[in-house]
Amino acid sequence: MNLNTMSAVMTFVSKIENDSASFYDKTVKKYPEFEETFQAWIRENAKFEKQVKQTYFGVITDTLESNFSFGGLDSGNYDLDLVLPENAGLSEGKKKAFEIEETIKRFYLEAARLSDGLMADIPRLFRKIAKKREDRILSVSSF
Amino acid sequence: MPVTRLQNYVNGEWVDATAGRYNEIINPAHGTLLCEAPVSSQADMDLAIHAAEEAFQDWRNTPPVARARYLHRLIALMEENFNELSITQTLEHGKTIDESRGETRRGIEMLEVASGIPSLMQGFNLEDIAHGIDEVAFYQPMGVFGCIAPFNFPLMIPLWFLPFAIACGNTFVVKSSPRTPMSQAAFFKLLDEVGLPPGVASLVNGETKAANALLDHHGMQGVTFVGSTPVAKEIYKKCGENGIRVIAQGGAKNFIVLMPDAEIDQVMVSLLSSFYGNAGQRCLSGANLLVVGDDKTYNRFLDKFVEAARNIKVGDGLDESVQMGPLQNEASKERVSGMIENAISEGAKLKLDGRRLNLVGDLPEACFLNPTVLESVQPDMTCAMEEIFGPVACVLRAKDLEETIDIIHCNPYGNAASIFTNTGKWARQFRHEVVVGNVGINVGIVAPMSFFPFGGRKDSFFGVVHGQGRDVIRFFTEPKIVIERWF
Repeated sequence: MNLNTMSAVMTFVSKIENDSASFYDKTVKKYPEFEETFQAWIRENAKFEKQVKQTYFGVITDTLESNFSFGGLDSGNYDLDLVLPENAGLSEGKKKAFEIEETIKRFYLEAARLSDGLMADIPRLFRKIAKKREDRILSVSSF
Repeated sequence: MPVTRLQNYVNGEWVDATAGRYNEIINPAHGTLLCEAPVSSQADMDLAIHAAEEAFQDWRNTPPVARARYLHRLIALMEENFNELSITQTLEHGKTIDESRGETRRGIEMLEVASGIPSLMQGFNLEDIAHGIDEVAFYQPMGVFGCIAPFNFPLMIPLWFLPFAIACGNTFVVKSSPRTPMSQAAFFKLLDEVGLPPGVASLVNGETKAANALLDHHGMQGVTFVGSTPVAKEIYKKCGENGIRVIAQGGAKNFIVLMPDAEIDQVMVSLLSSFYGNAGQRCLSGANLLVVGDDKTYNRFLDKFVEAARNIKVGDGLDESVQMGPLQNEASKERVSGMIENAISEGAKLKLDGRRLNLVGDLPEACFLNPTVLESVQPDMTCAMEEIFGPVACVLRAKDLEETIDIIHCNPYGNAASIFTNTGKWARQFRHEVVVGNVGINVGIVAPMSFFPFGGRKDSFFGVVHGQGRDVIRFFTEPKIVIERWF
């Protein structure tokens, strides 16, 4: 689905943050040794979603091009595979988390690039969240 | 299920209008009935104005800082109800949900600025204008003001005025648009929760009769209006005859100038938003696209613009994939379609025909048009001179900036004009010379923020001071000069 408008992008942000949080919520039972990390990420996802919404609602007055700024952004390029088989080992879990974070990072960076013409707040926040995702990718690699 | 009937809000109460006639309010995207709005009578308006007169003395004696606190509470309520307010606008007007949210935010910003009234309303003074004599200027509220609201920004435009008026200590009556009255009804529900003293702010739904009652009432101190130029002129005249203040913002025919060095790929989003945002139904919309340069430059610009306009997704504004909603009603669509036909008969060429509908979803076609681009438009054609107020771009050409400015000056309107260029000299010359109230440089929609006045010249504005910002504080107050000496 094409994410033409800011509104559609915001809805998609909610989806990926909630979906990935729900992945970690399920995964934490499988790998209790990472409980602290995953619980922190779940909280962080909720914070990211809130920050994006607050920024969007805060600057929508100035982003007069909000209906046209995300041409080419397609949610199909950022589908998250959230299914972890029952008997998955740690390496599979790591791989899945890596892919999820990598996909979300890619989304935020592309959305930031496309929205650079909007008020600076939105692409700046997207890049900040992408950086946090990069940190998570490094964490996953070190598990 | 019974249809909801809107009520007036008068003297702090929701009341039925005395008139028996109601207008059906239709969702333009789906053709469904949303509610019915009363066509209030002169008596209904008189009641609201009488309540406002009664409320004035106590309200003006309420300290400005206390008046501002009501606005703070109202801001908080609007934030809590941000999405509901925005959805209401989309339902009754048709604009996209992003556009409605932008409108809600703009409305809130007006309250934010107005809540600074303890600073904004301050006068000035000078000691010893003569030996032992001091002079002070106070800005005092005047009494009852009112607003005649348009359909295209049903929530925001009354908020260009109401928060400032009441923050200054005046009382205020809104006559909402008969086409889009729901947004003001939703706003006044929040205002009712804030607990303003009865009569400080009232809402009357209605048409011309209610508007005339507002203009002619002897208790009024001033009226604001936003709408078409013929009506703005009439209101300006009437207010002059009645000796009351007026801000009358009329129509527009805004030029968007593309210089040969414009970064076409970067400006395309601004152009689309300018010409087709709000389906072209805003007084700051781009209307005439004036391309400066040779054939090669012109063809490069135009081909890209037409292609981008063709790809705009049109449909129900609540669908997040949609980039442009319907016209607000069937009559608007008929009028715009007629102007396209007339342009063709005058010699314009149809580069993109928005009458050939391509909608997202299965929707009734009654109010929809897709984006239209008219080429070979001459400055004196009707389509270049008159406000279309729909998703139509008229493309003109000029050989240089001097000719461009001449063409703009031949147009009777003077609301806004924008130039897209990378050359500072051209931008500076344009800004300096062009006779419009709002100038954009690489900006497609020149919407002044709440702390700046909303400009407008020529047939786009009738009055002295403008809406918003410091101008409107002056509109809603009268200076009182005190010269004092003590023996």
